[in-house]
Amino acid sequence: MNEIRALIVDDSSVMRKIVERALSQAGLDALVVHEAGSGAEGLEVLKTKPVDLILSDINMPTMDGLEFLRQIREQNLAQGVPVIMITTESSEEHVKQAILAGARGYIRKPFTAEQVKERVLPLVRAA
Amino acid sequence: MAVSLRESVQRVSDPRNLDASVEEVFRLMLAIECKRQAGLVVADRESVTAVVGFGGLLSGACVFRSGARTALKIAAQMTGMEFDAIDDTVKDGIGEICNMLAGAWKGKVPELAANCGLSVPAVITGRDYNLHVQAPEFQLHHGYRFGEEIFEVTIVCDGMQ
Repeated sequence: MNEIRALIVDDSSVMRKIVERALSQAGLDALVVHEAGSGAEGLEVLKTKPVDLILSDINMPTMDGLEFLRQIREQNLAQGVPVIMITTESSEEHVKQAILAGARGYIRKPFTAEQVKERVLPLVRAA
Repeated sequence: MAVSLRESVQRVSDPRNLDASVEEVFRLMLAIECKRQAGLVVADRESVTAVVGFGGLLSGACVFRSGARTALKIAAQMTGMEFDAIDDTVKDGIGEICNMLAGAWKGKVPELAANCGLSVPAVITGRDYNLHVQAPEFQLHHGYRFGEEIFEVTIVCDGMQ
């Protein structure tokens, strides 16, 4: 598999590390990870660095994950790049909002590395 | 039709939901099997407390509390790193545990999952402090053990619509 460049957006540095570890365990060995602590930081990363995959939390201060998704579209950033939401919010309404905002997948916290693999690999392979 | 929790108090306050949430979060995120045990009290002088607020259909909070040593072990298990002091990474990790506990707990009741928001976690550290909540609508307060470590999780509900 070619090198995968992933952007992980979460206000928790610990969660960013856990997601990175799960991506490595998913078999994405050639992995380059960019990190952002909020949606606003994520947008700044996307303006300067090309990525193949975005994983974002929803509940974040400054700019939450749904607004981050909307801004990606409004600003025409990361076109065609799959976004997966990783969040504690798991109701159908939250999933619907995320999909409407442009998310391609949804992972509920707590999660296993296997769940991350199941959601991420098909999207990465299709890209 | 407006959603109300008034007729579902027993379901919302079912203590089994909290036990299932704690076991799920610790098993999936930390690969730790922990069990509820009656009579456990965190008595360490130095402790770590994380609080995540509920808002919307239910207002209140989820509170996680452990001694400093237990918090260090949980953070080490989460990150694969070793810690010898309660630094920002440890606080961040404990805050995330509390966030996932709150999310898993409210996810057990469909009306709550869709109509109750979570605050970002606040983490309190220090010695010899007590938390007091005035006249809650209901409160669940459970102690859990894994290995030699113990921690407490409290759900406080101070209002329901």
